[in-house]
Amino acid sequence: MVLNVMPHSAMGRRVIIDVDNVYFTYPDGHEVLKGLSFHLHAGEKVALIGPNGAGKSTLMSHLNGVQLPISGRVVIEDLEVKKENLKQIRRKVGIVFQDPDDQLFCPTVFDDVAFGPLNLGLPREEIESRVKEALAVVGLEGFEQRSSFHLSFGERKRLALATVLSYQPEILVFDEPSTNMDPMNRRNLINWLKAADRTILLCTHDLDIALEVCDRCLLLVDGRILADGPAAEILYDRKLLEDNKLELPLAVMTHEMLHGILAEQEMDEADRVVIGRFLHAHRHVHGPDSHRHVHVHAHDHDHAHLHEEVDETHFHESEPHDQGSDLTPGGAAGPSRDKLKVEGGK
Amino acid sequence: MALDIDRYASVASPIQRWDPRVKTAALGVLIVTIALLKTIPMAAAALVIGAAIVLISALPLHFVSHGLSFILVFLVPFFLILPFSYPGQAAFHVLGLPFAWEGLRLAALIFMKALAIVLITFSAFGSSRFDVSMLALQRLKCPKVIVQMLLFTYRYTFVFLDEMRRMYTAMRARGFIERTDRRTLRVLGHFVGTLLVHSFERTERVYKAMLSKGYQGELHSMVEFQSNGVDFIKAAVVLALVVALLIGDVGGRFAPAAQAWY
Amino acid sequence: MHISEGILSAPVLTAGYVGAGLLAAATMRGMDMEEVPKLSVITSVFFVTSLIKFPIGPSSVHLILNGLAGVVLGWRAFPAILLGVILQAIIFGHGGVTVIGVNSVMLGGGALVAYGVWQLRHYFSFARKEFAFGALAGGIATISSGLVLSAALLTTGEAFFAVAGAVLAAHIPIMIVEGFVVGACAEFLNRVKPDILAGQKRAKPQVTAT
Repeated sequence: MVLNVMPHSAMGRRVIIDVDNVYFTYPDGHEVLKGLSFHLHAGEKVALIGPNGAGKSTLMSHLNGVQLPISGRVVIEDLEVKKENLKQIRRKVGIVFQDPDDQLFCPTVFDDVAFGPLNLGLPREEIESRVKEALAVVGLEGFEQRSSFHLSFGERKRLALATVLSYQPEILVFDEPSTNMDPMNRRNLINWLKAADRTILLCTHDLDIALEVCDRCLLLVDGRILADGPAAEILYDRKLLEDNKLELPLAVMTHEMLHGILAEQEMDEADRVVIGRFLHAHRHVHGPDSHRHVHVHAHDHDHAHLHEEVDETHFHESEPHDQGSDLTPGGAAGPSRDKLKVEGGK
Repeated sequence: MALDIDRYASVASPIQRWDPRVKTAALGVLIVTIALLKTIPMAAAALVIGAAIVLISALPLHFVSHGLSFILVFLVPFFLILPFSYPGQAAFHVLGLPFAWEGLRLAALIFMKALAIVLITFSAFGSSRFDVSMLALQRLKCPKVIVQMLLFTYRYTFVFLDEMRRMYTAMRARGFIERTDRRTLRVLGHFVGTLLVHSFERTERVYKAMLSKGYQGELHSMVEFQSNGVDFIKAAVVLALVVALLIGDVGGRFAPAAQAWY
Repeated sequence: MHISEGILSAPVLTAGYVGAGLLAAATMRGMDMEEVPKLSVITSVFFVTSLIKFPIGPSSVHLILNGLAGVVLGWRAFPAILLGVILQAIIFGHGGVTVIGVNSVMLGGGALVAYGVWQLRHYFSFARKEFAFGALAGGIATISSGLVLSAALLTTGEAFFAVAGAVLAAHIPIMIVEGFVVGACAEFLNRVKPDILAGQKRAKPQVTAT
């Protein structure tokens, strides 16, 4: 079953990546991509999720021509990925790989960040200013003369990003960007991703980061796109995720669990309020101004959300949806929701 | 294990300020000359020169002495073997073995020359960043591909050293103790094998990352060298020393054989 | 085992450099842009493994593993060892810059001999042949290196005959250690990732589109 819902954010924007029925088999006979197709639109932030072995790395290699498809094609901004075009393709697509030590191979920080622009043959002053800029973006100003291998892991991760930013690709692909990152660095990364004005493809097992950053989600299973839709739907679809060796994002699981507790357990009113408040607050934990309401039922409310108080009428019973999406996220809130009492506001 | 020889490359000194190309060329000639000396006084002079260069380079003494500890250990056996293996007339016997002063002299000669060269090498490469030293060599016509590979190898040495330490800690944590037995050898074989497998996988990923950033076979560098008159004056001083050593050495070889220490 | 500075005569040093240059040119033929970074990374593993010590009684010996370089890298073992020798001379402070040529020929030559021995396994078929040929390659690499080192010492004069003999004798326990380690490693690699070993019948897949 392929769920194909065109998110409204993508409507009207040009297609920047077009992967068209790509097949790829490794020389040792292992067929990894089996008719893979999807589009990315300019400015979209898309998560690519899937179990290990599904083909995420192989797919990424196809996006900048490190691998070429056996059949089918990949088109980046109207340029087909072919041997003749590799130089321009790699200029447009920047991939930040998982292990920073695979990407930092020059004697100094400056050299590593300058590597990309140097390969483009840019003039000296331009390179110097780009390096400075890229380092400033990732918070590593003044690190130019340090050697990459003496930096901490978090600094190396940021530096790896800087080495890609410096040649200013329109499309950024991230491979497991948040792995092994401490919470503060992870938070900074999330903030950066949300603010970045670029097309971003996030390949990740960290479904929470996907939920926070991305509008859309692609589920890659066994060399094919199994689901393609709004992140808020796919990442709430317990059955879909668990059938494919994934799980709900932690945020959603917590949400569910607390709903379950509220619905099924006997407890004092005071406790209910606390949990309700937590549930409510949980949705706005990332600051009052920049957050999204991640609801189980993705619809608009006609009332304001007050952050200091718990408005229990906020907990709706499940209703039929009429918001253009004919999906009821499976299982995520069904039965327990029905048991919730809707009480008058406090 | 101090792998980064260029840790103190920013310590200011006349050696550090010397244009790396001129420095490497001049000191290289000096080193080769010293290696070929055959007389004790000149070897001693070379050692003095070496010590002077290290002092001028202002490198921390603990750093230099740590490096020297290895060479000193290596050279000790020569003092033990050569006096007894020297052919010809023995001066006296020690425990039944013939002792020849010439053997001791030879050992001393080697010792002084080796030490002098090590001191100069340390000064030369400890006073510039590694990649700058390598690029200097490239400008002096060393094959480009060798220099590029040296830079990569040096860079990844640290990564694998780290990995090796971690693997070793894990091994130790499972109760492994190195002993002089076959099991240890087998475990070491597997250990090295694992490291190799990781390295092969890493090379694939590194190459992929390089391609992704537009690598097309050429490794560019933005290092620029600039030499001035002072650099060449320093080189002239070194070359003068070289000439002096050579004259003294050749002259010394023709001195009367009666003087046993020549 | 390396030779230190200040021992060998000018002709031997020069011969070392010439020999190293010729062998390097011969074994680096056809190196493309993909191999340059890849070989470098693998070289750094061999470099780092030379820091591993095996205890023998009260002291210990460092692993050399030039035989393993031959088993894994084939012809490219020579440039890998050349790089290792240069790096050692520069960053360890043992000295060795004047003897880079001789040391490379000695160790690199041993690696090439090891490769030759390793390839002989194709003519045989028995259980654990990878261990057997790996061990043989490792041991023979050591003894070849030892012979070259002794020969170099002999050229210096009669005074060094005893030293040359001592050096050769010292190589015997090292030969055993290296043999076992290389054998174990070759067997391990054959089980885990046989592509790594040099001269495997299956052609190495050209995985990346350059």
